[in-house]
Amino acid sequence: MHPTAPIFLMLSAMLLIPNYPYYVIFFYTGLAIFFTCLNGRENHDVAYTVQLPVAKRDVVKARFAFVLVLEGVQTAAAVPFAALRQSFPMPGNEVGMDANVALFAFSFVLLGLFNLVFFSIYYRNVRKVGKAFVVSSITVFVYMGILEVCTHLIPFLRNRMDTPDPQYLTEKLILLAAGILLFAVLTWAAYQNAVRRFEAQDL
Amino acid sequence: MNILTVENLCKNYPAFQLKNVSFQLEKGKITGFIGRNGAGKTTTLKSLFNFIHPDSGRVSFFDMEFAEHELEIKQRVGFVSGGIDFYPNKRLRTITAAARPFYPQWDDGEYRKYLGLFALDETKTPAQLSAGMKVKYSLALALSHHAELLILDEPTSGLDPVSRDELLEIFMDLCEKGVTILFSTHITSDLEKCADQIIYIKNGAVLAQSELRHFVSGYRIYDLTKEQLTPKLQARSLGTARSKYGYSVLLRADEPLGFDAPEQQATLEEIMVHLEK
Repeated sequence: MHPTAPIFLMLSAMLLIPNYPYYVIFFYTGLAIFFTCLNGRENHDVAYTVQLPVAKRDVVKARFAFVLVLEGVQTAAAVPFAALRQSFPMPGNEVGMDANVALFAFSFVLLGLFNLVFFSIYYRNVRKVGKAFVVSSITVFVYMGILEVCTHLIPFLRNRMDTPDPQYLTEKLILLAAGILLFAVLTWAAYQNAVRRFEAQDL
Repeated sequence: MNILTVENLCKNYPAFQLKNVSFQLEKGKITGFIGRNGAGKTTTLKSLFNFIHPDSGRVSFFDMEFAEHELEIKQRVGFVSGGIDFYPNKRLRTITAAARPFYPQWDDGEYRKYLGLFALDETKTPAQLSAGMKVKYSLALALSHHAELLILDEPTSGLDPVSRDELLEIFMDLCEKGVTILFSTHITSDLEKCADQIIYIKNGAVLAQSELRHFVSGYRIYDLTKEQLTPKLQARSLGTARSKYGYSVLLRADEPLGFDAPEQQATLEEIMVHLEK
């Protein structure tokens, strides 16, 4: 793990900023994953690991386990700050989505998208970690941009999802379940892609 | 039991091909894997462990197919790729602690013994070690999980003559204890000192696998003048090279030159140089 990973976890506190595109906080997890993979490349971690009695598939599995823990901790760490933000006696986020359940639902999809794009590229060639990060970052920022614009333009998002909890909680919880499901599907697809590509890669 | 059997290993790259590489290793022997730079030594060694995917061919260690018994085989084999280049700024102690849990048969007593024998300081980092010490540390790791087969990719490259000699003596000691060693090199004098067998690879194909003495005794070198080196002789020679006083010609030992000229037993280096020309 790169030393910046725990520091980026603390950036969950940015949910306390009154007006901010909160999705960016989840992007920092991607940055921590990138630094970890970059650190691995500079230290020839993959070459070292495959020499151990470990199957190539398990090298990918271990990396995904680490990523899932990191993303899980990031999300869990953000929950109390979201609750705190909602308790502030001030209007909701003017920039985009409020720090509410819907934010977490869309953020799960963001993390799933990052995993799919980043790891599909990274495990095609573990030396090209920069390319994986650039393409996945562009994907994630386009997704964030579309979401924030839609939050202002689409009535369902503006009037129901971009509201303080527990308003429209049922809809938000359904959205959260869908977000988690989509995260699981995207991350599973990312894992399968990664295993297939890493197995085929000449090191 | 066959320690390592390689059959018809092929790999195609746009600019290079590994062509039906086949060989076997005998238990407790040191085998030198020789060939000039780019001949296919590293590609072959990496293919053994599937680090590089061969297009076809079969690899089995200890009579077990690598694909089906990868983890078990890796427990019994130590692969050293020219000394460690991973985690250059981590202490050896930390690297060892990371490796240890992967080997159920890890022997800490053995590890301490080799640390002492190789004068390795665990508080140092790989970046602080000389090339020779890096190879020794890799060997210490491999021997601490009782590797029965050591596969080393150019372990003596970049070492000074004294360190190389020291390392070769370690190989011979290990060999006496029953460890089988395959090491690639283009430094032929290393093999003359310690190898029992050689595998000679040229342009991606195995040119010879033989006992070293038998291989070397199969060739003769003749020193000739320019006038003696006729086109006819050139055509039947295995290779010619310039020498200080004229030319040297490599012929098979059972093939007479046909006239008197200074001759000598060819060294491994001379055979390699002439065959590559």
